[in-house]
Amino acid sequence: MPCLQRADTSAARLTPAESRELDQRLQKRQVKEFMNVFGNLVDNCFSACVDDFTSKALSGRENGCIARCVVKSMSTQTRLGERFGELNAAMTAEMQRR
Amino acid sequence: MSFLGFGKAAPSSAEKIAAVENELKVVAEMHSRMVKICTAKCLDVTYREGELSKGEGVCLDRCAAKFFEAHQKISDQLQKETQARGGGFMS
Repeated sequence: MPCLQRADTSAARLTPAESRELDQRLQKRQVKEFMNVFGNLVDNCFSACVDDFTSKALSGRENGCIARCVVKSMSTQTRLGERFGELNAAMTAEMQRR
Repeated sequence: MSFLGFGKAAPSSAEKIAAVENELKVVAEMHSRMVKICTAKCLDVTYREGELSKGEGVCLDRCAAKFFEAHQKISDQLQKETQARGGGFMS
């Protein structure tokens, strides 16, 4: 997930007080975003890894799968985060050029 | 794209802050959707390995690029179609 930074894409000019207010809101949003990522992670890894309901405890296989899923998902987040940043910057530049 | 200050009084504090926050919200949502979709399209669902394989990594890069390109094309086309249909597509 990209850090919610303020690129200077908005026409709004903010006073220091407004800036502080915005930063507070962005922090809240950041937390919400993290919970969203976490939720997706659980949904995704559970759906992919858990399919044996003959027991109510996760099997060794399922545990291993989940652990690998988490690591892989985080690597994916990082990689896509980088690509997104590059592509978004390019798109923004293109839109401003038009 | 900002619609602030078109022929009316200067935007209030609340409006300015909301505008910036909204812009970032849109970007964050796009990122979230892209991750979800590209994960589904590129990653091995059996999670046999904890590391991204080279193939998966390259797939993710390409998926991201195509996602943005599709986003742009659809945006452009939607605008054209909307105008062609007289400004409304919900009718």
